[in-house]
Amino acid sequence: MKTLRILARFYHLNPRWLYLAFTIVLLIPLLVAIPKPEFKASRGPLGVYKVLDGCPPGGVILLDSSWDLGAKPESLSQLECFVNDLCRRKIKFVMFSTVFFGPIFAQDVIRPIAEASGYKYGEDWVDLGFLKPPNDNMSLLLDAFLRDIPGTRPVDFFGTPVKDIPIMRRVKTAKDFNMAMTISYAPDPAAWLGIGKSQHGMTVAFGSAAIMAPYYYAFLDSGQLSGLLAGNRGAYEYESLTGMYGLGSKAMMFFAFGLCFLIFAVLMGNLGFWASARLRSKS
Amino acid sequence: MNHPLTLWLGVIFTLAVLSYLVKDNALYRLAQKAAMGIGVGILAVQTWQQVLDPYWWTPIKTALTGGPASGLFWLLALIPGGLWYCQMSKKWFWVSQPVLGLFIGVAAGITFKTQILLILPQIGATLRPLNPWALPGGLPWDHFWENGNLWTVLDNAVFLLAFFTALFYFLFTIKADNRVTAGSRRFGRMMIMVALGAMFGNTAMTRMSFLIERMQFLFDFFAGLFQAK
Repeated sequence: MKTLRILARFYHLNPRWLYLAFTIVLLIPLLVAIPKPEFKASRGPLGVYKVLDGCPPGGVILLDSSWDLGAKPESLSQLECFVNDLCRRKIKFVMFSTVFFGPIFAQDVIRPIAEASGYKYGEDWVDLGFLKPPNDNMSLLLDAFLRDIPGTRPVDFFGTPVKDIPIMRRVKTAKDFNMAMTISYAPDPAAWLGIGKSQHGMTVAFGSAAIMAPYYYAFLDSGQLSGLLAGNRGAYEYESLTGMYGLGSKAMMFFAFGLCFLIFAVLMGNLGFWASARLRSKS
Repeated sequence: MNHPLTLWLGVIFTLAVLSYLVKDNALYRLAQKAAMGIGVGILAVQTWQQVLDPYWWTPIKTALTGGPASGLFWLLALIPGGLWYCQMSKKWFWVSQPVLGLFIGVAAGITFKTQILLILPQIGATLRPLNPWALPGGLPWDHFWENGNLWTVLDNAVFLLAFFTALFYFLFTIKADNRVTAGSRRFGRMMIMVALGAMFGNTAMTRMSFLIERMQFLFDFFAGLFQAK
């Protein structure tokens, strides 16, 4: 009876205690050094890695980095691990964003990695800046952009005409890219897979928030999507493939603790519900 | 982005938003309204800076200052643009309909195309083989368990079962009054629950990412303050 009463308290617990306990649990990895959890890369990150394996040094990737502060917790680690791998393999990239502050956030990540790898702006990578999808329709933008890049975006982020940028002399349409990678909270499959993949035959991979990943697995299964980085876990798995550990592996430590606590809380809540029902029936 | 003022504002607004967990309060509502105001401000700047200025105003300005006169044709864009505002009047609402129709037509056209290009390969990918001997390499008896084809076929069978039963769950024109139909419907519902469970798990992951990022931000900020002292 006493045990039942203690358990029943969990059912009626003020959620604020849960928030406090959760915060304390998440602080543990910040204060204590704990070894990284080990797990094998799944097919999503492996797919991205294999596509880059097939891309020759000097090949060009189209990188859509459409995220800002709202999606930073997951997209930042994905962009970091992906650009790290691009620079390690000496693959060039053309970047753009469909989010207003996207280029600023992306440059904060890309610049240090590119400079450390000896990448030159304009020759090895370029930032075309913000491209506003007409009427917020990404398909309309991609339809025009992938047919005629200089016509759709005549200048880069800094206002330099693309005809004066060496890397842009090589890329005019979709067929000049070895792959398209889009990193955002929720990449648009209708635009990227409908226009990019089906219409232009591009190899497309996504980096998305974990919340969106179940929706994209269907496209991974059908082969329309060549790879998928789902949330921080996707970034961590990709880091484990390249051996270059960064923000993804750091985040996984917090996840390990946070998820254990969530499972514990769900269990205790259910036990509390059961105990509460038993107490009611006894009284 | 690491200017002290930016960091301090970040800390204050993060704490203001988190304070809602204790109780709804004025500080939280201030943060909420500030975020909305900033969003609208950014939208206005973005529309002028990225669309109207480079694609509309610059050609007109160039034409007016001795550039190609064809830039003046962009003034004609004011006519369909102005028609949008007729939606605000009950009397003149009908005038806005041609431009509304134009926009709907363009959006519907591109959506129709992209959805066909997106969905048709999905339908193709649903047709999966259930005969292991039809797959490359077949299913040799001496490597029965080691051969991956057996697992591929089992995977395909689970997929097809889930696919058809989940579709059947939404087929309301057939009564589920016998064991086969009722069982299929129940299994379909279970499969949908599994998918929703996976979505919920991923939702928890994303929300946790957001919290972790803010916690790290606060921790780094206060650790930096103490170290500086």
